[in-house]
Amino acid sequence: MNWVQIVVLGLLLGGVYAMMASGLTLLFGVMRVVNLAHAAFILVAAFITYVLFENLALDPMVSLVITMPLMFGLGVMLYLLLFPRLEESPRYVEMTVLLTFGLALIVEGLLTFIFTGIFRSVRPEYASTSIRIGDIFIPTSQLYASLISFALLICLWLLLRFTKTGTAIRATMQNRAAAQIVGVNVRRVSALAFGIGMALAGAAGSLLSFMFPFFPGRHWQWIALLLALIVLGGMGSIKGAVVGALLLAVASAFVTSLAGPTWSPITFYLTLFLILMIRPEGLFGTKVRL
Amino acid sequence: MALLEVESVVAGYGAGPDILTGLTLNIDEGTSYCIVGPNGAGKSTLLRTVAGFLKPRAGEVRFDGVTMNGSRPDQMLAAGVCYVPQDASLFPMMTVRENLAMGGYLIDDRALLRERMDMVYETFPILAERSGQNAGTLSGGEQQMVTLGRALMIEPKVVMIDEPSLGLAPMIADQIFEKIRGFSDLGITVVLVEQNAVKGLEAVDWGFVLDLGSMEFEGPADGILADPRIRELYLGKALTRRER
Repeated sequence: MNWVQIVVLGLLLGGVYAMMASGLTLLFGVMRVVNLAHAAFILVAAFITYVLFENLALDPMVSLVITMPLMFGLGVMLYLLLFPRLEESPRYVEMTVLLTFGLALIVEGLLTFIFTGIFRSVRPEYASTSIRIGDIFIPTSQLYASLISFALLICLWLLLRFTKTGTAIRATMQNRAAAQIVGVNVRRVSALAFGIGMALAGAAGSLLSFMFPFFPGRHWQWIALLLALIVLGGMGSIKGAVVGALLLAVASAFVTSLAGPTWSPITFYLTLFLILMIRPEGLFGTKVRL
Repeated sequence: MALLEVESVVAGYGAGPDILTGLTLNIDEGTSYCIVGPNGAGKSTLLRTVAGFLKPRAGEVRFDGVTMNGSRPDQMLAAGVCYVPQDASLFPMMTVRENLAMGGYLIDDRALLRERMDMVYETFPILAERSGQNAGTLSGGEQQMVTLGRALMIEPKVVMIDEPSLGLAPMIADQIFEKIRGFSDLGITVVLVEQNAVKGLEAVDWGFVLDLGSMEFEGPADGILADPRIRELYLGKALTRRER
């Protein structure tokens, strides 16, 4: 295997990781909530995609237009139902960790109840083909997933950079109190951010469904990986999440090809460990006190 | 009728004790005020309660005759009450220009925003020089000017400023007070909270002396400054340290 091939594969996978992580880090930035249920909701979208594919033969990439708005709505609803009452609590951070942990357990339980614990996968035609450019082979599924992820990341960037709502979200991320002072309704912004984060989780679920086999308990592995990515990039920094995801995905691709796939997960945890020791605020993060 | 009326307000944090214990005061349009008093008197708590960050446990806050109890901060701002908290509350990763633009978040008219921004740059020429710089990289005095300039963007009826001189060198603090005095000329009613009682009272028309969450005394600012009894009782430490 040549190293260009490894880098390309790493970057493709990194693009998908980046989108998964950006939703999580956005939520942390706006609300100071580490949503431990993020990956569980990614799985919800993956199972919805699976049902749509099995019953209606709907292409998983097309099912994005269903999973994204659906998860957006679910996110806004969950936020309004669960979070405002915690805001007054002096133990806000602890409460939200427990709350999202509980959410993850509930979602996993429901999914297991409905779909049982066996592995599922969505197999459209492009899941088993690949494209050859020179000496490099690119799995078609990863190429598609990566392109869609980058497109969505660009949409997110445009939204945050150039719309009034986006400006309000960025302002709330930088200084929640100051945002309130200039008249931002931070509760509305938080609900929106939760919705956007969940919509990105929805997109990620649809894309993952044809890249990896999945079962309801799988989300613990994903959330661990995502946490490593956003801690590396700096909690609450979307730029950091993207850079962290690309770096770690490439690194893990190298580890896989040099030492075997068994060692690939250790890349993430070892990096997480080192980052926390050397630069706990991450690559692009700022020191925050909770 | 006063512009802003605070009537028998009781307020405190979380499950903690009452910080304001039935405070009553009136703010008239066009007059400037300074609230002084020892630490823990409830000066900042009063501002936070009026700004909508803290809900009063009892009593009433009225603005323009309308009861505002339980209004959110954005609703108070829309009504015309702007709050400038103690710690320069900026968006550190945004430029000075973007910070000022955020001050006009509730304004949709772009031409009006540009006009206001020019006015702010006129009032604070240093901000025009720094307009492209990230707010987080400015000095303490400059950051304070950004928060004051940002408050001007919305042209509030009342601006409540908490400890504008906190952590600033005396010369810089003097400049800030000079700017605050200028707010009154723009037709904005200023309510100041200041630990440095002399500097604060010198900058305004009327003084409130708070102690233990209620009003101890109020009167013309120069009268308070001249009254040796009040100075000794309530402004004691702040004054003697300075005069020594």
